[in-house]
Amino acid sequence: MKKKRIAFFDFACCEGCQLSVLQLDEKLLDLLDHVEVAAWREVMTGESDQYDVAFCEGSITRETDIHRIQNIRQTADIVVSLGSCASIGCHNALKNRWPTKKALEIVYGEQAKHFDSIPARPITAVVDVDYQVLGCPVSLTEFEAVFKCILTGQAYDPPNEPVCVECKRNDYLCVFEKGQICLGPVTRCGCNAICTAFGEPCHGCRGLLDQPNLEAAATVLTADHLHKIMDAVAHQYQLTREEVLDKFSLYNNWPELTFEEDDTHDT
Amino acid sequence: MQSFVLSSEQLNVLFETLMAKMPMMGPKQRSDQPGFYHFDWLKSPGELVLHYTTTTIPPKKAFFPPVETMFSFKLGDPPELTHIIEDTPFVLAGVHPCDLAAIKALDDAYSVPPADKRWLANRRRAIIIGSDCLPDEYCFCTSMNTADARLPCDLFLTPIDRGWLCEVHTDAGKNVLKNIQKDTAQKKDIEDASQWRLQKAEKISTKLNINFEAFAKILEAGGLTPIWKEIADRCYSCGSCNTTCPTCFCFNKYDEFDTTLTSGIRKRVWDSCQLPEFAMVAGEHNFRGERWERVKHRWHRKFLYLFRQFKRPYCTGCGRCSRACTADINMADVINQLAAASEKERSHA
Ligand code: SF4
Ligand code: SF4
Ligand code: SF4
Ligand code: SF4
Ligand code: SF4
Repeated sequence: MKKKRIAFFDFACCEGCQLSVLQLDEKLLDLLDHVEVAAWREVMTGESDQYDVAFCEGSITRETDIHRIQNIRQTADIVVSLGSCASIGCHNALKNRWPTKKALEIVYGEQAKHFDSIPARPITAVVDVDYQVLGCPVSLTEFEAVFKCILTGQAYDPPNEPVCVECKRNDYLCVFEKGQICLGPVTRCGCNAICTAFGEPCHGCRGLLDQPNLEAAATVLTADHLHKIMDAVAHQYQLTREEVLDKFSLYNNWPELTFEEDDTHDT
Repeated sequence: MQSFVLSSEQLNVLFETLMAKMPMMGPKQRSDQPGFYHFDWLKSPGELVLHYTTTTIPPKKAFFPPVETMFSFKLGDPPELTHIIEDTPFVLAGVHPCDLAAIKALDDAYSVPPADKRWLANRRRAIIIGSDCLPDEYCFCTSMNTADARLPCDLFLTPIDRGWLCEVHTDAGKNVLKNIQKDTAQKKDIEDASQWRLQKAEKISTKLNINFEAFAKILEAGGLTPIWKEIADRCYSCGSCNTTCPTCFCFNKYDEFDTTLTSGIRKRVWDSCQLPEFAMVAGEHNFRGERWERVKHRWHRKFLYLFRQFKRPYCTGCGRCSRACTADINMADVINQLAAASEKERSHA
């Protein structure tokens, strides 16, 4: 069978996902044995516009980005959104809280007129993608799994289970026990709870579940008294509903996060 | 049943002797948070903490690890399979009565054909040493008849004035004690131990206001949807109530190819009926797609279906699910709430 030709492309982002992929080290070489690399700016010079699989990281933030991603979509048989910028908008979508003009002024001041910008959106909002790899940066386990699915022609659905599942399977201490606020219960797993592994809360970088119970989060996090595991949180933080939304939208502001859009049990 | 008395030093000798021969899992202090304990493989007998309160993850993980490799495979005609089943002995120490009852419950559930080879093989490897506890505000073992459970332990330890009362429950347990210095138990030692149990029962503040059969009937009668929905409004469907439960036995399986794409491993992991895709079947049909249906299922499963099948609820009253639930959904409270609601309904009828 002819080897698939793969390419990597970047849009608005820190390019950390591509860099992470390189950290697969020897395993990456083993995986690349099955393919030919047509374009990958971070590791090689020269690029070909003949490719079958396009790994695209970053968000769409300019009109020109739209044309470029549409072009890639037309060329490639398989398009993969690589990482949370490309899949769910990630931090980039935070700028959508301001009018675009205002956001440009905040960042570029007087030079703002030289830049073109549109509200940030993930690649998935502009073209259909065949596979998604989530995470800021991507989970390498998931990248590998997706890569193998592409090679063997299998579908891959991002897990629709919360981080808590992996946290518990690893017997990590729930950070709520230490009075921290964790987004694990509403965030898609697949990172093997890497943050809670180090005693840090989950900030939600892999995106919200299909049906995150944000109302439950608001009830819990705004309460003034709860059971043992949560009491420190209730006492120290006493969040308002707006502050809850603030916390939850860090990676998840596309589309803009509101309580009304939440699906609760009646879906 | 025979009972001996071991001083703290003698008990330590027992653990040292055992650990010289085989690995031991037991409760130890968490390195990341003092004052919290978890079951783990011990590096030395000194790490074992028998006065621990409780653990987030139950000791069932010794027999049914949260993530395990079942077999490796190689594609081909015919495909090659190599099962990965351990047979080296180990000790599981410091298991509280409720968790002993849970291991017994899983022995029964996993023995129903087709029996779970992995669970049974791991169970045969282990010497189980139980130990008595003092409850916290989440425990309700006295309502679940598990406060004084002993089966299936080999030895059971209760703190007494002279050190530890060590009950011998099996021949394996007797064997383990063979060359250990010990004293025969006197009347006073036995009384000390009963005193401990009394004290423990008195400390338990959480109680169920209904018996198992009556509660099963309430669930059977149905009509509780508004209550399930009200609980579901607060529930994240995060699954922590299942992944911390000593009697939950559901798992998921998946394959992982290596980079050759021709060989790999099959893994199994703890699953949870609270997760949205637990009951998803072909064609994306989901017979418990709504959150309240999943909430309802947990109580039905533990207090109705399995109660009817095994003549005992699949809940030991350990309180782990309530402790772990970040949304403050409490197992015992919900049972009492349902009992009260149905009582009210009946008095109106
Ligand atoms: S630390 Fe976070 S992810 Fe882990 S169990 Fe607690 S809430 Fe869930
Ligand atoms: S634990 Fe949360 S923030 Fe950390 S990598 Fe996983 S999804 Fe991202
Ligand atoms: S632990 Fe609590 S929030 Fe999570 S699924 Fe169970 S009941 Fe719902
Ligand atoms: S059905 Fe749910 S409650 Fe029952 S054993 Fe499975 S996970 Fe546990
Ligand atoms: S349902 Fe809750 S209280 Fe009952 S055995 Fe499971 S974790 Fe313990």
